[in-house]
Amino acid sequence: MDALERAFGRFGFETIIVTGLPNPGQNFSQMVLAKRWPAEWFKLYTENNFVRVDPVVRHCRRLIHPFEWAEAPYDPERERGSAEVMRRATDFRMQRGFIVPIHGLTGYEAAVSLGGVDLDLNVRSKPALHLMAMYSFDRIRYLLQPTPDPTPRLTQREREVVAWASQGKSAWEIGEILHITQRTAEQHLANAASKLGAVNRTHTVAIAIRNKIINP
Amino acid sequence: MIHIISFANRHLYEDVLEEHFRLRHDIFVEERRWETLRKPDRREIDSFDNEDTIYLLALEGRRVVGGHRLYPTTKPSMMSEIFPHLADVRGCPSDPLIWEWSRYFIIRDRRDGNLNLRLMAAVQEFCLAEGIAKISAIMETWWLPRFQEAGFKVTPLGLPGLVEDAWTMAALIDVSHDTLQAISERTGLPSVIQRKGPHLSAVALANLHRKRNDIIREIA
Repeated sequence: MDALERAFGRFGFETIIVTGLPNPGQNFSQMVLAKRWPAEWFKLYTENNFVRVDPVVRHCRRLIHPFEWAEAPYDPERERGSAEVMRRATDFRMQRGFIVPIHGLTGYEAAVSLGGVDLDLNVRSKPALHLMAMYSFDRIRYLLQPTPDPTPRLTQREREVVAWASQGKSAWEIGEILHITQRTAEQHLANAASKLGAVNRTHTVAIAIRNKIINP
Repeated sequence: MIHIISFANRHLYEDVLEEHFRLRHDIFVEERRWETLRKPDRREIDSFDNEDTIYLLALEGRRVVGGHRLYPTTKPSMMSEIFPHLADVRGCPSDPLIWEWSRYFIIRDRRDGNLNLRLMAAVQEFCLAEGIAKISAIMETWWLPRFQEAGFKVTPLGLPGLVEDAWTMAALIDVSHDTLQAISERTGLPSVIQRKGPHLSAVALANLHRKRNDIIREIA
């Protein structure tokens, strides 16, 4: 996060938030992945449930491309809540901003939103900020992933192929048994070997038995 | 399954290829409004559809539900001919081990399911099997996080630019076991591609084009 602060800081940004967008019923504060926001503003934002009326959030769900906060439309007369979010934000040096929507594969919606006062935000800097935001998002999500299981997991197919290898079957025979090509069987064996850190087929079988991945 | 269709086995798939050209017209021209691709016969075919193109098409029976294509970068490619400005930081690749990936599509009523993941798995599985090391692509930038979510390692070749009002970028994508593995765990399928009939070696084909380029350069 410090690295992001420095990188975006060069463009004049003072606030950063990397967050999922809450569906109805979801709590905004639990969707936040990382942030550099004034604590006071975060408190105000969550306590007043500003996420429901924030025109930037609403626009972000509809767009696939990045935009400046000021481009998010709302009716200041009829949408008082929206007007209030935009006005209150300026009290926290969030006068202008740039937001990059993230649309995941299975309906997950997220965003990287950057704010400040004196910004280097123009046609030349936007494409770079666009990429920086997307790579930041990927990096933060990666860092927040639970640490992987220390014992490597084999796929169902890999376990099957190793089990047959432990019965002395050749790759060609395994292919015939499982109705896959010899090449595919070899590939599964190679994958299993590399996951288990084995140097050859015998070693793979030995490790698989030792770790109770297959039953001898 | 995702079928691999090349010059070597296209006699087994002529009907499927025809349908796919029509679907591409429906999707890229009628739906997404890429007017430059519009064709009077309603078949979207461009200069990168030829004997060197390899199609990866998702079939349900004989019905095409999605797909994409690969094209050797040792020939003039979409990136080098049409969008070189998007790759002006790291340059356009031209390498037998790098193939250009394009025309990714899914028919409307299959967009919710896991076909997306299977199509992404297919390109990794096919390239691993063929020894292709990287794929290059001109893609809409909003797809970047989607590829990253699927475990693709994507390197930009330049800054995004506007193409027909859409932010678009040039990128190189690594082909790797880890990526394929990550997608397979999500789809629950160890293999998604199917091959019928004679094979064509993609890298051998790309090498031939490189050789030809060298000879042409010598003569010139």
